[in-house]
Amino acid sequence: MLHECSLELEPGEVVALLGPSGGGKSTLLRALAGLVPHFHGGRFSGRVDVAGHDTRRVRPAELAGTVATLFQDPEDQVVFTRVAAEVAFGLENVGTPPAQISPRAAEALAAVGAGHLAERLVAELSGGELQRVCLASVLALEPRLLLLDEPTSQLDPEGAAAAIELARSSGAAVVVSEQRPDRILDACDRVVFVENGRLRDGELPPAWIPRDAELRDEQPAGAPACVLDGVSFAYGAVPVVADASLTLGRGEIVALVGPNGSGKTTLAKLAAGLLEPAAGGVEREGRACYLSQDPGRYLVRERADEEVALAVGGDLSRARRALAELDLAGFETRHPRDLSSGERERLALAAVLVAEPDLLVLDEPTRGVDPERKAELAALLRAQAPSRATLVVTNDLVFAGDVADRCVSTAAERERALV
Amino acid sequence: MSPAPAAALLAGAVAAALLADRLVSVTAIALVLLVVCLRAPAGRRRLYLIGVIGSGIAVFVVTPFVATVGSHVLWSGPTLPVLGELDVTREELYNGLFQGVRLAAVGLAFAAYALLLDHDRLVQSARFARRSVLTVALATRLVPTLERDAAGLVEALRGRGVEVTGTRGRARLLTPLLAGSLERALNLAEAMEARGYGRAGATRALRPPWSALDRCALAGAAGLVALGVLWL
Repeated sequence: MLHECSLELEPGEVVALLGPSGGGKSTLLRALAGLVPHFHGGRFSGRVDVAGHDTRRVRPAELAGTVATLFQDPEDQVVFTRVAAEVAFGLENVGTPPAQISPRAAEALAAVGAGHLAERLVAELSGGELQRVCLASVLALEPRLLLLDEPTSQLDPEGAAAAIELARSSGAAVVVSEQRPDRILDACDRVVFVENGRLRDGELPPAWIPRDAELRDEQPAGAPACVLDGVSFAYGAVPVVADASLTLGRGEIVALVGPNGSGKTTLAKLAAGLLEPAAGGVEREGRACYLSQDPGRYLVRERADEEVALAVGGDLSRARRALAELDLAGFETRHPRDLSSGERERLALAAVLVAEPDLLVLDEPTRGVDPERKAELAALLRAQAPSRATLVVTNDLVFAGDVADRCVSTAAERERALV
Repeated sequence: MSPAPAAALLAGAVAAALLADRLVSVTAIALVLLVVCLRAPAGRRRLYLIGVIGSGIAVFVVTPFVATVGSHVLWSGPTLPVLGELDVTREELYNGLFQGVRLAAVGLAFAAYALLLDHDRLVQSARFARRSVLTVALATRLVPTLERDAAGLVEALRGRGVEVTGTRGRARLLTPLLAGSLERALNLAEAMEARGYGRAGATRALRPPWSALDRCALAGAAGLVALGVLWL
């Protein structure tokens, strides 16, 4: 995964790790944390020295506190059921004096804007809220080396900028792996490009050079394929969507953007028919398909082509065509769990695109996807757009600009109808 | 009430149910625990109660056919290989009912533990065997986590126009659920290692001292065990 990599980090320095999916960014972060080779095994040569500790001689648990790692998937790193206990866990393990644990945990939560979540159950949090809590857990340790693996994948742009700034101001040497260069390049001191397991200097490939989002605002077009009329929805007593209206026309792509927790996913599920509104009505023409933001939910069958064929009554030839469109030709017989995270994302996309639905709803389809793949996805969706109405829920404004005919925001959604 | 005394009280109830040898005593314990479980939200308690009551009924039904107790025969059946002559006696029915209710009482105590206790505070208040307590807490979370995963898989399938119906349809989700659990366990283990779990010198956040109610609960737990031994 990594070949002859050399990297030196100064205290307080922020280094951005960029590079395509599967290129070795996460492996490099794990090597810096000592998890490679201790936890993952493999062949290891060379030396990683962190604050005077040789990572081959010191267990990762012994490095905790000096090093803190935020992993890619916030859902898979939570130990406790309540937020406050979760943040305190690392502090307790590294032997923080008891009287300091709760105040430091509360301080870290407040710093990431999650102070109000302290007594909440982790299972009740949105993806963005959970990512903030996990960030608080590592910042609370006040490490000398902070390793962040795609820390903003589920955050809105403002939340992402705040998180990166917070990491920067911690005073630690920070290494951030990112798939969205626009979120990190302004805040970092140095960029390291990781490709095929090697660190590369020099200019970034064109797709990785940040550019401003160019959001289009075309008029709604085409015969309506889906109409949400004054819909409301609440989880228990908590209202999430209130009196929202949105029309999706055949042939158009609409991007749904907005801050974390503003009801984007709920609105998308209402459009796709996965949730029934408490008030208002939803009308749909033809078949609707919904792509969840968690690609782990598309791992039901034991072969990739069978997984994709589920939506088309087991038609393997259609499934294989869909896989090829997503650049997964040759992966047909692979077990979905053997795929990398980027490949799983594309498999999930193939699993919904194969059905050629009249209404396609995609929830965060670019999470963990590198810019080159994102450009390919935007081109594919644009090419298929005339045959359907497409709703894309995303925090990635550049992608929204590339793919969508118009952009709808949930920011002021609570007060007024959307469209 | 703090979680540690509450857990002790539940453990005391389990001990009393296992020690008691009268049906009425075990039934009373099971009913009290059922009332406690009913305090949990309906959606969360449903699965636990179905499991507990189903297991109790299964024990009641099976016991008369595998036990050979008593002389008051209520029904005589055919003679089967291995099992011998099938018959049901009054004593076997009583024994089946007793064992079924006892199992239900133990199951309800676990359900109350899983549904109502704050496991985070329980782990943090553990003064010894913290690893074991954390392991139990993580294992307890397995059921709700699997429920959530299953709901996610079903939703993703519905999003592709595939409805999951019938026992066979649901059974097909078991393998991906198990594989997902194993994958998550590995990721969680890595995250715990990276956060210093298992290293020497760990401390605990300060906790408020036990209240009078907590002390009463602890005494009550000991009393339940004594009651089970002496009178129930």
